[in-house]
Amino acid sequence: MKHLLNLIDGDKDIGRGNKFWAGFFLVLICFFLYPTFVSSFRASNTAFYLLNIPMGFGLCLIWGYCGILSFGHVAYYGLAGYAYGIIAGNLLGNSWGPILGVLGGLVVCTIISGIFGYFVFYSRIQKWIIPILTLVFTLLLETFFVQTSGYQWRVGRVLLGGFNGMTNIPFFQIGTFEFEGYSFYYYCLVIVLVLFFGLRILVNSKFGQIVIGIREDELRTEMLGYDIRFLQCVTFIISANLAGISGLLYVQWGNYITPSQMGILQAALPVIWCAVGGRNSFIAVIFATIVLNWLSFTLSSQGNQYALVIIGTLLVITMVFFPRGIVVMIFEKMQKIR
Amino acid sequence: MSMLTDSNQIIISTHNLNKKFGGIVAAKDVNLSVNTGEFRCLIGPNGAGKSTLFSLLCGIERADSGEIRILNKEVTKLKPFQRIKLGLGLKFQTNRAFQSLSIKDNLSISNNKIQVMDNEIAEERYQLALSEFKLKSEGAKLARELPHNMLQWLEITMILASFPKIVLLDEPTAGMSVEETLFTGSVLKRLNATGLTIIVVEHDMQFVKDVANKITVFHEGEIFYEGTAEEVSNSEEVKNIYLGRD
Amino acid sequence: MDIGPLIISLIYQLFANAAFLFLAALGLIIILGMMNIINLAHGEFMMMGAYVATITYHAGVPFVISVILSFIVVAIIGGIFELLIIRRFYGEELGALVVTWGISLVLGQGTLLLFGPFMPSIKIPGGSYKFGVFSYSEYWLILIGVCILLIVLLWWVYSFTNYGLQAKATMQNSDMAKCLGVSTKKIYTITFSIGAGLAGLGGALLSPTMTIAPFMGQQFVAPAFITVVVGGATNVIYGAVGSSLILSAVKTNIGMAFGAFFGTVALLLTALIVIRIMPNGISATFQRYIDKKSLSTK
Repeated sequence: MKHLLNLIDGDKDIGRGNKFWAGFFLVLICFFLYPTFVSSFRASNTAFYLLNIPMGFGLCLIWGYCGILSFGHVAYYGLAGYAYGIIAGNLLGNSWGPILGVLGGLVVCTIISGIFGYFVFYSRIQKWIIPILTLVFTLLLETFFVQTSGYQWRVGRVLLGGFNGMTNIPFFQIGTFEFEGYSFYYYCLVIVLVLFFGLRILVNSKFGQIVIGIREDELRTEMLGYDIRFLQCVTFIISANLAGISGLLYVQWGNYITPSQMGILQAALPVIWCAVGGRNSFIAVIFATIVLNWLSFTLSSQGNQYALVIIGTLLVITMVFFPRGIVVMIFEKMQKIR
Repeated sequence: MSMLTDSNQIIISTHNLNKKFGGIVAAKDVNLSVNTGEFRCLIGPNGAGKSTLFSLLCGIERADSGEIRILNKEVTKLKPFQRIKLGLGLKFQTNRAFQSLSIKDNLSISNNKIQVMDNEIAEERYQLALSEFKLKSEGAKLARELPHNMLQWLEITMILASFPKIVLLDEPTAGMSVEETLFTGSVLKRLNATGLTIIVVEHDMQFVKDVANKITVFHEGEIFYEGTAEEVSNSEEVKNIYLGRD
Repeated sequence: MDIGPLIISLIYQLFANAAFLFLAALGLIIILGMMNIINLAHGEFMMMGAYVATITYHAGVPFVISVILSFIVVAIIGGIFELLIIRRFYGEELGALVVTWGISLVLGQGTLLLFGPFMPSIKIPGGSYKFGVFSYSEYWLILIGVCILLIVLLWWVYSFTNYGLQAKATMQNSDMAKCLGVSTKKIYTITFSIGAGLAGLGGALLSPTMTIAPFMGQQFVAPAFITVVVGGATNVIYGAVGSSLILSAVKTNIGMAFGAFFGTVALLLTALIVIRIMPNGISATFQRYIDKKSLSTK
């Protein structure tokens, strides 16, 4: 146990030591108390910001820690969502439906990312090809799902829905308890927490160190006796599942999913969160995901059509002036001042 | 001189190894054979094929033809990481320690303990390198903050961390001062004395004379001459290939 | 059914699809070959070319001039982006990908906000022929001709101009080129401008065949990038031509048999298979073959 705690407090993510954790838990308590002050609707909205964090984690892991940029991570967001919709939708009335749906979603992510990873990492291709192939893959998925309108496109009782997407996707439930509103908010919060601590343990462990080594110098790491292709593949699968978790939470939040969730505009979002916050820090990603989602929500709900232009500009400015991410660089500055 | 040279045990060998890069012959019918516990130096003019040989031994480059054996196992078809796992260690010609990571992290990543047998001796070697190269106390420093000689020592220690049986060092004293080169030589000799097979590519003849049991001279991809340091120094033919006389 | 007309129709479709891929990917390959970065705003550069074409065309300018103007305008815009932003990312391929993606978002959304969701379309020049039961568009035949012209032009530029010589030197060994007095910074800017201009040109040339809208560039993303991945950047001309032809062959056949969507899926699968066998693309393998041949004749 003590060993795990040491790993959580490791130095592969920003923030460690007593002062940091004190602040962290203070903020956490605020998050826990938040729903008592707001309506169920508001809590649900905030839950939307939270549910996207795992996808940010996934990209952070594969890009920030392993050095492999995936532009099409939303593919797994969508695949998991659709898989859940199909399985849980067909098992309506069965209290095991949602749980099986979740498992199904993760299995789909694992298989597809495993196959993709095999082709990509065992080919020793140049690094810039991976973002493009992943992007093309998610665009193809979107195109496929768009043309699935009509009654013939269904699995069991569930219609894929074409451009308008799949609707009536069931909430997540354990036993007879359905997670929506306040309970959904806490459900998301707990999942994000568990993933956060789990990932901190992962990146501070031996596995994490080797992955970082792969990012720093593939050949050197390989010549220390590690099978880097396998490790890259495993990391990719883990990160795909993280994106899938966000997809699962999404359909459990809104009860619907559309092909545009795998389209090019959506695909840009996790990249932007990681680039703006800091791609090699989970804390930074949490921060950036919440703030940027809040920003675009506020902008678009005020009828502001400039949301994407602003966010695109923010991305460009961040890449030019804050290449390691705004949160990460602020933190580095603070370290230097001490 | 190593007392543990076991002339009956060839630890790494090549048989008729050939490699061409476009029109350049990097290796031509190379038959190299190194015994367990030997301290072998590979010398030769630039472009003679020494670094390429290391790449071929490790599997970074695929040979056009020929056979490579490590610890009596035919490894010609094996991937680099598989050969490393047999007990090989490689230090690159240009320093490849992880520049952005701390010394502690550099060593920790390298800790891929391959051997199960001879653990104690291997651990001793590692600790020896750690203390001699003064890396123990510097844990938190980033590798790129180190002076060049310490970077080289760091990389050497890194490959010792995985308990190899053979280490291939490509110009380990490049960029070092005379004292640092001498010091490196003495540490390597002590490591060799524990039974570690060392093969070094080097240009510094003083260093080579100081450490080597046996020297292999390369020229245009072929083994030109093999002998002790004295024999090599006295050889007219070796002098000629360095000075360009045909 | 007569096999003659069928074969001719197939050949026509093969070259027409290849022309599409070639025009879509050329600008991208040139930039990749020189600076080793992928410009994700490529689709938006093509869109801007189409916009310049339609705006000038509907202002009375002859189509040919519109197309040339598209090249010039988008080349200038590309040059500005290069000077301000892109040059900071040479050597950082992933960073370049991300920043150009940001630029593409801004350009796409910005165009939507400035010009609205649609632009007036350009009527496709030329008529169509009928041969047997198949019809052929005169314009696509012209486009195939334009591609051949571009190939010749590129070959001429690389072989006979000062820029071409310096560009080749910089591509092979930029440090050495700098030592020999080549202003590599200028070469990069010019190359990026040319690549952007060619994207604009492609967009303008293809604009009569499609709806002109802010996100029209996105339909080129998948095909252009796959073409670049398969072609590789070792030799721009071989890569672009070889890749376009091979992928077109795949797309035409699969597309005819199974529909357009599966045509694109087949492209992705082809790309995956090609990179498994030839990780650096067709042009690298081809270049190696040529190098081997020229050495063995010694």
